[in-house]
Amino acid sequence: MSRVALAVTLVATLAGAGSAAAAESGAASQSRTPIEHFVVLMQENHSFDNYFGTYPGADGIPHGTCMPAGRSSPGEGACVRPFHLGGRAVPDLGGNGRTHRIQYAGGRMDGFVRAATIDRQTAQRSVMGYYDRRDLPFYWKVAAEHVLFDRFFASAADGSVANHLLWLTGTQRGSRIPADGFGDLPTIFDRLEQRGISWKFYVEDYDPRLSFRAKGKANLSAQAVRAPLLNYPRYVRDRRLFSHIVDLEEYYEDLESGRLPHVAYIVPSGASEHPPGRVQAGEKLVRALITALSRSEAWDSSAFMWTYDDWGGWFDHVRPPRVDGAEYGFRVPALLVSPYARRGYVDGTRLETTSILKFIEDNWNLKPLAKRDARANSFVRAFDFSRPPRKPAIIGVGHRGRRPREAASPAIYLGYAAAVVLSGILLGLAALGPDRRRRRRSGGEAVGSR
Amino acid sequence: MPLWEGTTAGLRVGRPTRLSAAPLTELRRAGLPLILAIAALLRVWQLDRVGFNSDEAVYAGQAGSIAHQPDLQELFPIFRAHPLLFQTVLSLGYRVHLGESFQRLTAALVGVATVYLVYEVGRLLYGRRAGLLAALVMALMPYHVVVTRQVLLDGPMTLFATLTLYLLVRFVMSRRRAWLLAAGAAMGLTVLCKETSTLLLGAIFAFLALTPELRVRLRDLAASIGVMALVIAPWPVSLMLAAPTGTGESYLTWQLFRRPNHDWLFYPATVPEAIGPLVLLAAAVGLWLLRREGSWKETLLLCWIAVPVVFFLLWPVKGFQYLLPVAPPLAVLAGRALGRLWPSPDGKAVLKPRRDRRLGLAAVAIVAVSLLIPTWERVEPAQRPDTFLAGTGGVPGGREAGEWIEGGVPAGATFMTIGPSMANLIQYYGHRKAYGLSVSPNPLNRNPSYEPVSNPDRAIREGELQYVVWDAFSAARSPSFSEKLRGYVDRFNGRLVHTEALPAATVRGKKALRPAIAVYEVRP
Repeated sequence: MSRVALAVTLVATLAGAGSAAAAESGAASQSRTPIEHFVVLMQENHSFDNYFGTYPGADGIPHGTCMPAGRSSPGEGACVRPFHLGGRAVPDLGGNGRTHRIQYAGGRMDGFVRAATIDRQTAQRSVMGYYDRRDLPFYWKVAAEHVLFDRFFASAADGSVANHLLWLTGTQRGSRIPADGFGDLPTIFDRLEQRGISWKFYVEDYDPRLSFRAKGKANLSAQAVRAPLLNYPRYVRDRRLFSHIVDLEEYYEDLESGRLPHVAYIVPSGASEHPPGRVQAGEKLVRALITALSRSEAWDSSAFMWTYDDWGGWFDHVRPPRVDGAEYGFRVPALLVSPYARRGYVDGTRLETTSILKFIEDNWNLKPLAKRDARANSFVRAFDFSRPPRKPAIIGVGHRGRRPREAASPAIYLGYAAAVVLSGILLGLAALGPDRRRRRRSGGEAVGSR
Repeated sequence: MPLWEGTTAGLRVGRPTRLSAAPLTELRRAGLPLILAIAALLRVWQLDRVGFNSDEAVYAGQAGSIAHQPDLQELFPIFRAHPLLFQTVLSLGYRVHLGESFQRLTAALVGVATVYLVYEVGRLLYGRRAGLLAALVMALMPYHVVVTRQVLLDGPMTLFATLTLYLLVRFVMSRRRAWLLAAGAAMGLTVLCKETSTLLLGAIFAFLALTPELRVRLRDLAASIGVMALVIAPWPVSLMLAAPTGTGESYLTWQLFRRPNHDWLFYPATVPEAIGPLVLLAAAVGLWLLRREGSWKETLLLCWIAVPVVFFLLWPVKGFQYLLPVAPPLAVLAGRALGRLWPSPDGKAVLKPRRDRRLGLAAVAIVAVSLLIPTWERVEPAQRPDTFLAGTGGVPGGREAGEWIEGGVPAGATFMTIGPSMANLIQYYGHRKAYGLSVSPNPLNRNPSYEPVSNPDRAIREGELQYVVWDAFSAARSPSFSEKLRGYVDRFNGRLVHTEALPAATVRGKKALRPAIAVYEVRP
């Protein structure tokens, strides 16, 4: 065999192998639903009642709610009623396992103010505060146009570390990040890697130096808590895996270039809505993410979900169910945006943070990571795949023109028609007058012109 | 005996021009339908090849809002600056699901009807031949053709103004009160098309003042004014009943105090060419040579011309089409002069040799061709120059860009353009909210119909503006705002998502495609 023939054979073999691999990858990445791109964002520290407690049609704050004040100061009432927070400054109300236990109060759900007061040493009325349409116009409008979940619980009755880890692994490993990271605990990204399904972990204001290796550095705790992959030695040390963790700016670039991965996890930084941060900053981020998705080619086959890692110490009136002998966390807001999402649907399916894993596993036919995600409900009911995808629409909150009163048109038609009819009558009367008759008789030119 | 009773005694009236005999009779008989056919052809030829311009989009949008078109209702408030007679008629097209063609065809029909009325006015004043020639001039006049090919208010305003003129002539000739009342009603309809036509009241009063021999009973005049007020009434009444927003009043205030948009040479530089220099020459020469035959007729026509011309020369706000109502009396005066180039049966003619028909025919042909050539250049889009003057036609590429936006941009997206003109096109064709960067946030310096974007930088950062549109036409008019807009494109990761390119002359005089409209995505 000549060298040329050998080279041709080698190239053909490699090409065949390459195309076979590509075909296999393509087949593996095929989703079981029309959703080929799933984007999920994890915000922080708000309960369902805190954001949607007054949303029409949702399981919101019951009428007559008044939370026992606990160690009330002299002169204060015995209980605190829910109130509109508006633009008031709010403190970080906490939200760890201990707070949860006090607030849960053995199932009585009457310790919300008391827990915050114990922690802060002063009465914390803020716990009972809520936001509404005036403060969260974009979120409320999304709920009206897409899907709002009103039975979505944080998976752990604990704080950020536990719930962020459950979001990736379906497993609870305490409230702190172990010194040597999370070891070999499997993540959803391991499953995706195995199946050749593209994924990325986008981090707002990402600093790649701030991983578990850089203990003690500023902001380590925040970035590492939000992005648990940075606490996995194998993800940090393996350059290929590490390259999946990128700055959020790449999300926009990927959308523009048509390279949005099949599964995208997003964590914020300054826009996390974690009190005392401004909720509007989070709204702005979510709006930018959804807007970019809606004007990309990926829109027709995408779903965007965002939820909150934990309730952040805010009041929520629904007692969380128990699972595996432990309570879920309190309810957190969760919303879904998709061309297949049911319009204005309030989904009451019991869901939790690991329901996100459940959906990904079901959609791409992946093996469950743990018992929690295996048993969790999926939110697939929030979709309506029997209809064609909705056209993209940018959800705005601002002014959309001055809609005229409906009564305007009849008034205009009547008024202007009357003017034309009156003119026509006068013109007719003039035309049929004596000078016309005179002209007819005379058969000549206009009278008076000559 | 009253001066005008029974006879025309005391009035110096023009010599009647009666039809000459034999060979031209057949031609004259077919003349009017032929002229109307030419008028119609010039007004509908390639009518939809170029989409609406900004003003057309606004009026069509208002019509859509009146007809409760959901996509337009949110973007075009019904009550803006002008009365709504024409927009209400256009709204009927939406009611029966007729599109853009209906609106421009309605405008063209209005143009043809005006040509017919010019014939009637000319015939009444100077005889059938003058009427035919006036109608021919009007049918071919670039000014009238161009404006009545567009969905503008000036075309219908000119129609009703010409009707008012016709009825006034009938009144003067017959002195029957009914004609004066009908003239009042027609004047009311003129104002219901566009309020600037109230200027013509000045022309009417000037005519009455300059014709003392014409004595009109005060009560007749008052009755006519009353009829006019009654016809106009739906405008303020519907404003008060349906939308007490104050926009109309604000608009008037703004118009009174706004800065000039053109210098005083604007009309001398643009309108004579559009009317036709030979038409103006014919009218002027006719007035001079036939000055001994001068009568109330010329006084009326000259008042009808002079008052709007003087007013708009002095008025700081100028628009190409604002002087359209002066076109019919000019056409009549030109028709009068051209008609006198033929010998009449009594042997009277203006020029020597008096019996040479060929001279008359040649003069009419020269005037007609001098009108037809520029008209054809404006009517046939392939002949269009790549410069653009507001009111002279549609905006090339504007409709196409808007339609791309309608299909290619998510609903609810918000746009920023250099100025309000392109913003109107995006709103009409793209059904997306658009703001003009050049619209001043200071209410004293902006048209109250327009909404400013007070802080574009913030609006983009907050995600309220997602697209930016640059266009060559607005850039030529506002280079500084064009530069500013491009700055936002650069600063906010602008990504070009669509371009409309148009042929334009290169430095070497060749034609090449040049981007005329560019749509960018921007993000914080």
